[in-house]
Amino acid sequence: MRSLLHAVLLGLLGAGIVHIIVLLLVPEFSERDAWSRLAMASDLYKMTRLDAEAGGAPVVKSVDPLFYAAACRFDLAEGMVRVKAPGKVPFWSISVYDRGGHNIYSFNDHSATAGVLDTVVLTPAQMIEVRKDLPEELQGAIFVEAPIEEGVFVIRSFVPDDSWKPIVSRFLEQSSCELQDF
Amino acid sequence: MLKNAFLTLLSLAIAVGGGGASVWYALKLQDGVGAIRIGQWTAFPDIGTPTADPYSKARVAREGVLALGQAEGLSFIAERDSGGEQLKRQCAYKIAGGFPTARFWTLYAADQSLGVVETGKPRPAALQSYQVLRQADNSVVISVGSRPASGNWLLTSGAGKMYLVLTFYDTPIASSTGLSDLTLPQIQKVGCNA
Repeated sequence: MRSLLHAVLLGLLGAGIVHIIVLLLVPEFSERDAWSRLAMASDLYKMTRLDAEAGGAPVVKSVDPLFYAAACRFDLAEGMVRVKAPGKVPFWSISVYDRGGHNIYSFNDHSATAGVLDTVVLTPAQMIEVRKDLPEELQGAIFVEAPIEEGVFVIRSFVPDDSWKPIVSRFLEQSSCELQDF
Repeated sequence: MLKNAFLTLLSLAIAVGGGGASVWYALKLQDGVGAIRIGQWTAFPDIGTPTADPYSKARVAREGVLALGQAEGLSFIAERDSGGEQLKRQCAYKIAGGFPTARFWTLYAADQSLGVVETGKPRPAALQSYQVLRQADNSVVISVGSRPASGNWLLTSGAGKMYLVLTFYDTPIASSTGLSDLTLPQIQKVGCNA
């Protein structure tokens, strides 16, 4: 009887250790994280709609129903990435996520020049290179320094009512996510 | 000998089974580690940031969440009314009170997976601050239910558990200092359509 109690206590102690190990390993081995889900839906540098409105199930869940969103995956090891979207919408916001889905930088249309979405994501090392000789076409862009390689770029845009749906859809569909040579 | 082998197996079974199950259970709870509670509303201001706790990180990885950044906004989720009872889709509620500073906010009724409730009608189960009517003191009263109501009406339908998700966009409250003396509207139960 005592040895049984001993075994159960040992088991509970082990359960605590397993709990901690599993918890820390979940992010490493998850195949259901945002990056993996997007990878199944589209290629690198391709804007993909996240909301259900574009047809099919939403790629990444818990998007506000009054919002449309689009995302693209990038790899800064290949070069910096430039994201642009033409047109005016009531509100847009940007988030840059690392490979594990952590939000490392975010801003909204109040930060942009004249509310136009034009931004470049790059590593600190690439930033130094760009600073030496800033090209004319990048003058108005917002630079996001991110110490990462693989990442996800998300644009969210507010749809106040039905009449805004086509305008916001067009805003997201015309957005581009390109590898920029420098 | 056989007894020792049995005891070892028992220990291992408890360790692996218990450890795995407890992680699964902890990640399923809505109200977890790192939550901030204001009245009936719960928020995870740290979720999705590199400084988040291990439970939030695991939840982000498992559910494929792309959490709102601090410059974007902050979401609050309510699971219970002010009487402490579970919110239900077949019941009517009244949400009343002042809303904190933000460029705008959205409110929607969600099912268990936190997706918006399907109403089956052109009107979505969602409201936003530009379309609401305000009281003289700038507070807002919203009727939640499947029956039309005067003033602000948040349509719901069906039966079962319901969550209310209130998101503030471009708001100073997303920085942690703003959360200390925040008040959010009350959720009062009006009646049920049992």
